[in-house]
Amino acid sequence: MSLEKKDEFDHNAWLKRKDLTPIEKTFLMSLIYLDQRLRIVDYLEVLETLYYRVNLQMPKSHTEQYNLDNKFWYWYPLYSLGFFSIVAYIIAAATGALLGFYYTPSTAGDPSMAYNSVVAITTDLNFGFYLRSLHRWSAQFMTAAVFLHMIRVYFTGAYKEPRELNWILGIVLISLTLVFGYTGYLLPWNQLAFWAGQIGVEMALAVPIIGEWGAQLLFGGFTLGEATIVRMYILHVFVLPFVVTALIALHVGIVWMQGIAEPH
Amino acid sequence: MSDEETKPDVQSGGSGAVAPDDETPSWMERKTRSTGLSRLTYEYFERARREDQDLRTESDYVERDVLGFPTWPHEVIRNLAITMFFSGVILLIAATVPPHLGAPANPSKTPEVILPDWYLYWSFGLLKLNPLNPGLEILGGDKIISDQLYGVLANVVVVSAVAVVPFLNKGSARRPVEQPFWAAIGVGGFVFSITIAAIAVQNLIPLSLALQLNLAFVLPIVSGIITYAVLKTMREGYMYDLNRRYYRLRPPK
Repeated sequence: MSLEKKDEFDHNAWLKRKDLTPIEKTFLMSLIYLDQRLRIVDYLEVLETLYYRVNLQMPKSHTEQYNLDNKFWYWYPLYSLGFFSIVAYIIAAATGALLGFYYTPSTAGDPSMAYNSVVAITTDLNFGFYLRSLHRWSAQFMTAAVFLHMIRVYFTGAYKEPRELNWILGIVLISLTLVFGYTGYLLPWNQLAFWAGQIGVEMALAVPIIGEWGAQLLFGGFTLGEATIVRMYILHVFVLPFVVTALIALHVGIVWMQGIAEPH
Repeated sequence: MSDEETKPDVQSGGSGAVAPDDETPSWMERKTRSTGLSRLTYEYFERARREDQDLRTESDYVERDVLGFPTWPHEVIRNLAITMFFSGVILLIAATVPPHLGAPANPSKTPEVILPDWYLYWSFGLLKLNPLNPGLEILGGDKIISDQLYGVLANVVVVSAVAVVPFLNKGSARRPVEQPFWAAIGVGGFVFSITIAAIAVQNLIPLSLALQLNLAFVLPIVSGIITYAVLKTMREGYMYDLNRRYYRLRPPK
């Protein structure tokens, strides 16, 4: 585009044509001067809109603004599930960090040190039982919220065309959440934990070609023991938190950039 | 610009002190009615806007359609309100329902019930599909793949089925009524996740395994068909409104 102004936007010529009084001319000249520098047209409009819209209120959602279908507003709680799962994740992280101070990932002894440390947390530690309860419940809520979030996204078509990448990312995140839950489930080293671990080993071994290698990597062998619980612990408190937090940031960043897909 | 086109032209008379939102006159409407200096201001701003518009048309910067509404502020603020409530629920439930810590691990004693947490039941149920693992006559009734591998593969199939959805279903339709087929698939999948989870806890449910396996696959199909029928019926009445409001804003490609 050329820097030279087009004739029809030559404001000076326009002023001459208008044949204005001195007051009008002064006013208009200063208006043009200010507007060309500050774009006051934009701000004036905002101010006026605010003035006329005396009942100042929350910015409207897309649905409300275009008066689309008020029925869909009542689905709104389902739109906060993604945010809620992040909050539950943060609660789990905070309580998990505190629990980590007192937990011992070891199968030595009978019952194991891991089991004993969980017993000690729940019975000896101040607020220990509540801490463990909070950790477990926030994890349960997070998992539930993540599942419901996926269902919401499916039924409102929010996964569609420009957002496929985020849908895939969401599937990765949901899987990692399940792994989070599974590794945490094994840590108390009670009967349920041990036999759930047994199933995990068998499942890993059933995978062709990489199965044995995978079982070695994740469970530290084909029978459960010290190596298993240490690996589960490291996955749960070191590997997964970093990976999942980074992926959540990416997931939310993409949502932020693309905007919320509301049903129309 | 498009804002002003979509605004209704209705100017109601004597509607109280506070103008209702839809009836707030647009900036242009208010200005065209005034005189004197404000009229002059309006004329100048109109010119300035047209100039902007022309420059915008000339430039090679592509203005895209709005695909969503912004996360900040209203999405986040409303989410905070709802989320704070449910965080309170977490604190309350954690205080009232403490978790159970069972007997310590004992490798020599297999418990009667082996279960993961509830959120893995669907996966665990898929691992228990071995009665459906086909045996081949040619191999003398042997199975091609082991039962366990069959279970693992079932998991892979389910997860990849979920993953390919956005590549099969495209377009601007957002509501279940607009696409009864995909809504039916969704409801079927949801019901399947429950029936397959019921197979995981099969020994706790007083039904025979054969019956449960049948139900696990029949119920999702039935619920999918019902969903399809219901949405198809609703669709007729619904589409009038949808066409009027929605396709005006988002013209189909």
